Amino acid sequence: MRSRTSALNYSKTAMLPPLRISIVSSDAQLTSHLQLRLQSRGYQATGVPYSGGILGLFYSDPPDLLIIDLSADGTAGTTTITALRSDSFFSTIPIIGLVSPAVYDVFPWETSPLDDFVTLPLDFGELFSRIALSFSRIRRIFDNNPLTRLPGNTSIQRAIEDAMGKPLAVCYVDINHFKPYNDAFGFSHGDEVLRMLARIMFNAVRDAGGGFCGHIGGDDFVFVTSLAQVEPLCRTIIDHFDQIVQNLFDEATKRQGYYNGTNRKGEMEKIPLLSIAIAAVPMNSDQIRHVAKVAEVAAELKKLAKEAEGSHYVVDQRKG
Amino acid sequence: MDEKQTELKKIIMDTKTLPTLPGVINKLSALSDNDKSSVQEMARIVSSDQVLSARILRLANSPSYGFYRVSTISNAMILLGVNVVKSLAISSSIFEVMEKNSVGLWEHSLGTGVVSNMIAKKLGLPECEEIATAGLLHDIGKVIISLKCSEAEFEVRRIIDEKQIYMWEAEHEILGTDHAEVGCWLAKSWFLPDKLTEPIACHHNVEASANHRIKTSVVHMADVLIKASGFGDSGDSFVPLIQQAAWDALKLNEQIIAELVEELEDKLVEVKNFSLELQQDCDAPSP
Repeated sequence: MRSRTSALNYSKTAMLPPLRISIVSSDAQLTSHLQLRLQSRGYQATGVPYSGGILGLFYSDPPDLLIIDLSADGTAGTTTITALRSDSFFSTIPIIGLVSPAVYDVFPWETSPLDDFVTLPLDFGELFSRIALSFSRIRRIFDNNPLTRLPGNTSIQRAIEDAMGKPLAVCYVDINHFKPYNDAFGFSHGDEVLRMLARIMFNAVRDAGGGFCGHIGGDDFVFVTSLAQVEPLCRTIIDHFDQIVQNLFDEATKRQGYYNGTNRKGEMEKIPLLSIAIAAVPMNSDQIRHVAKVAEVAAELKKLAKEAEGSHYVVDQRKG
Repeated sequence: MDEKQTELKKIIMDTKTLPTLPGVINKLSALSDNDKSSVQEMARIVSSDQVLSARILRLANSPSYGFYRVSTISNAMILLGVNVVKSLAISSSIFEVMEKNSVGLWEHSLGTGVVSNMIAKKLGLPECEEIATAGLLHDIGKVIISLKCSEAEFEVRRIIDEKQIYMWEAEHEILGTDHAEVGCWLAKSWFLPDKLTEPIACHHNVEASANHRIKTSVVHMADVLIKASGFGDSGDSFVPLIQQAAWDALKLNEQIIAELVEELEDKLVEVKNFSLELQQDCDAPSP
């Protein structure tokens, strides 16, 4: 998904190309009418007749949204969308079906991979609302990590861009010794730890007055907060994580401070209990001119935060 | 399992919530949002109430969150978030009629939680907060029985007076089970972790406790001491002996007991003041 507010705010985002909508129908009159109405709304609309090459067209140039006419006889429509959806790359493109009220009772709603539908004959006001809603829904849920339900990389990128030059800090969080924990205790317990860290971060950021929380993937997380809050927030997240982690190990392990596991080289080793490292990058520094620079600075800071055993945070102190 | 038990078990499976005291809820509602001291106060109030604590742990351990073993209120608050805990707490139903019994049982539960914590600390045991939570929840079965089987409960109280027996014995005569087992069913159906479920299930029979005997022993002992102190009302007024199994598990001696009893006296003054504060709030109109 390209980052975008809505086609209705098109004037504000004039630099971006318009959202592209494909219309699949064998009714040429309906197609051209729809095209006209969508274009007047600032969308780029393309009509695609049903044909053997229809999937190839989408694969080579995927639209942002698909409107498909399912009122005609036969199964061409359902076959097309089922085929599209079978490739996970297309699983996130919103598909709106045009359905005649006569088929409400017989339409295979439960097996059809549609996101929404509009009744024929078309009420354009309704169609436009549903299109806008489809885009807003996809922005909301597509990017979210299915495990922690935190926003993923597209949203993270946007949050970092928005923070540039402001008195905010972008903080990268990861879990020390997560891989051996996963190997020793199993994926379901590893996932539990990720879900716990996500909740700890999310709640702490909210209680500190709000901000952004995202899940990059694996044991890597990001949060954005004000410079004033960054240190107390890092301390709270570390305190809470260290407290929760106590529940994951038995008494003997906690007493000795390690368990036996396999390290990255595959050798048996004493693995320390889980802890976290946080690298905080202030965004009002002259050094940060580009989004890629943020991750670069954070990577250097992470090394510092990981030098000592246990949970630590480091805030970048370098000036300009 | 006979018919009465099956019926009771079904009632428990359908139990999603239990009422709590209006004073507790009023006090929570009055707390301001997003203020550090009020978060601590919220934790203190929630941890004083067996029903609220059980409900919050139920949510934290529910499969939808995907955490497997949340056994303390402070961890539940970290994971669920202050907002969730507060909304859940103030949406609780309350006892419409404030009767002597529910206040007495609330005091008994609170007292047992506080004394469990005290014993755990005194003996230098790990997981004091878990033990305190188990102590707080140990009689949750009585809340269900009194709520869902009020006629049977009336009978239970009648034969306690008549035959001068322990409440759990009377419950067996009338219901074919007792509050420890009923509490255990509830704890299991609410996904509470074993370290809480086992002390609830075995606080009258420490020997039956297999995996968490130390925690069970502490809760059993706290229950006995709090009854002996006369604080609160657990349903009968007979003080049982501390069971040998608990004595062995905790490696007790008379010296330790004597010191504990002394500490307990001071502690109970604090607890009584807190309880009175909450009961005053019951009478005041809601904010």
